[in-house]
Amino acid sequence: MSPLQSPEARLLSSFIPVTAGPWLSEADQVFDAASIFDYIDGAGEVYRSYNMKILVARRFHKDGRPDLVVDAFDMGSSEDAFGVFTHDLDGRDAGIGQGSAYRAGLLSFWKDRYFLSVYAEEETAETRDLVLELGRAIAAAIPVEGPKPALLGLLPAEGLEADRVRFFHNHSVLNYHFFVAETDILRLEQTAKAVLAEYRGAGGPSRLLLVEYPGPAEAAQAAGSFAEAYPAAAGGGRPVIRTGNGKWTAWRLYGRYLAVVFAEAAEEKAGARLDAVEARIGTVK
Amino acid sequence: MNRRTITRRDFLKVASAAPLAGALVPGLGGPAARPEDMTRVVLVRDVRALDGSGAPDGEVVGRMLDEAVAALVGESDPVKAWKTLIRPEDTVGIKTNAWGKLPTTAEVENAIRRRVMDAGVPEDRLSVDDRGVRANPVFQKATALINARPARTHQWSGMGSCIKNYIMFVPQPSAYHGDTCADLAAIWSLPAVKGKTRLNVLVMLTPLFHMIGTQQYNKDFTWPYKGLIVSRDPVAADATGLRVLEAKRREVFKDDGLLKPSPHHIQLADTRHHLGVSDPARIELVRLGWSEGVLI
Repeated sequence: MSPLQSPEARLLSSFIPVTAGPWLSEADQVFDAASIFDYIDGAGEVYRSYNMKILVARRFHKDGRPDLVVDAFDMGSSEDAFGVFTHDLDGRDAGIGQGSAYRAGLLSFWKDRYFLSVYAEEETAETRDLVLELGRAIAAAIPVEGPKPALLGLLPAEGLEADRVRFFHNHSVLNYHFFVAETDILRLEQTAKAVLAEYRGAGGPSRLLLVEYPGPAEAAQAAGSFAEAYPAAAGGGRPVIRTGNGKWTAWRLYGRYLAVVFAEAAEEKAGARLDAVEARIGTVK
Repeated sequence: MNRRTITRRDFLKVASAAPLAGALVPGLGGPAARPEDMTRVVLVRDVRALDGSGAPDGEVVGRMLDEAVAALVGESDPVKAWKTLIRPEDTVGIKTNAWGKLPTTAEVENAIRRRVMDAGVPEDRLSVDDRGVRANPVFQKATALINARPARTHQWSGMGSCIKNYIMFVPQPSAYHGDTCADLAAIWSLPAVKGKTRLNVLVMLTPLFHMIGTQQYNKDFTWPYKGLIVSRDPVAADATGLRVLEAKRREVFKDDGLLKPSPHHIQLADTRHHLGVSDPARIELVRLGWSEGVLI
């Protein structure tokens, strides 16, 4: 069955209005993870890295006005819909769906297992209103909400920038948000689930990376690989080191989870954050 | 290849937390620098390159290309200059870029086409193409290639570069997407293109310095730079264009200006694939024309 004929594509199409004010829609284009390159070339890798299933693209046209484009993704799970939304968080919250951002003619939001991009080829007062109106209509048509990744519940709350948390599966996306290493030293390998959180503090911002691997063996291998790349810790006992900028990097393995604190101003704070992660993991075991 | 990976820790140690993901750390991860001659890159700009509506002025663009190629090869007459690049017996493919939101532009394509014909190549041995190059008979027989594309940010490779513009010569472009397109330069060793490129033109008329969303384009993130970057070396052309994009991002965003993801395929084209020169210290940059807002 072609992506165009699949029940998932028909359902996704049904969420999108056929008109936007006086703008009329053109025929839908439907892509899957193999054919998305035909639509957005190599940029399709971002959506593939979040396990996208179907993309329905619908263009709205009115002579003499900028086109509007809805790109509606069925990501297969709400955690990946949330994840791809967190890839670009710039913009103001538009109060649409389960999380949204509007900036320069582009509205992105997620709800249930769907990620939506609603875009005006040129932002005017009129197209801005229409983009938001389209977004609200699509969000209302999606019948239910979906859960965020469970990993978010393991993040200590103190100092957390809750609206800056990223969820992802591979090291290219990790490096996009926070460069760790040129190779996949954390063995994310697209099979892991990871969150990268930002924390504010008196000594400046720091990061917490929390990864859930398929099992304890994979997590232990990743911890070993990470320790190899941070050789100052080898033989030192505690998995913590002071980096060239005077800040602390510390990590800890808990079963199938690996947590790494980057750029914490004080060693004890890094340890305390890892203790807090461990306590939260203990409550879900 | 047994290569030690570069980590954040290395960057902090060596680069004092300066440019991180985009930086090349000397002495780490790659072979020692080889002695090379300087590679020449020409940046030409003209305040009249775009008309009142923002469209390229074909006549001005043609003159800019002439001046750039003449300066590149050290020959004042543009036709003589082109004859040092293209022989009358050549079959010439002009690899353009047809991305609808920011194409190479017909004005640049026509300026190149005219000078290739002035160099003695008949029209039936000349073709302009992008997505159809693999099936295009002229490209299949090409003895010479001219590579022309606009500079822009890219959601996966970091930068839409001259190096990247050859991805249409491979049957499965996604095979080169690994590690955010780290090894795009490997394409340049394939028989269809190896050793054939006589000129690279990185179009900087209205570069895209930032992108958002699936469509990756917003006119608000372009600006009328009104320039062309021209070089025989695609890596040097890209490295120079990258400096302009990063300088613009620093100006607008007031941050480090680095592109995300890192366009590391440009540095790796130099250090891993030895396709050309990415180090600005080894690039002889010739600036011509309008200097206001040149950024580099």
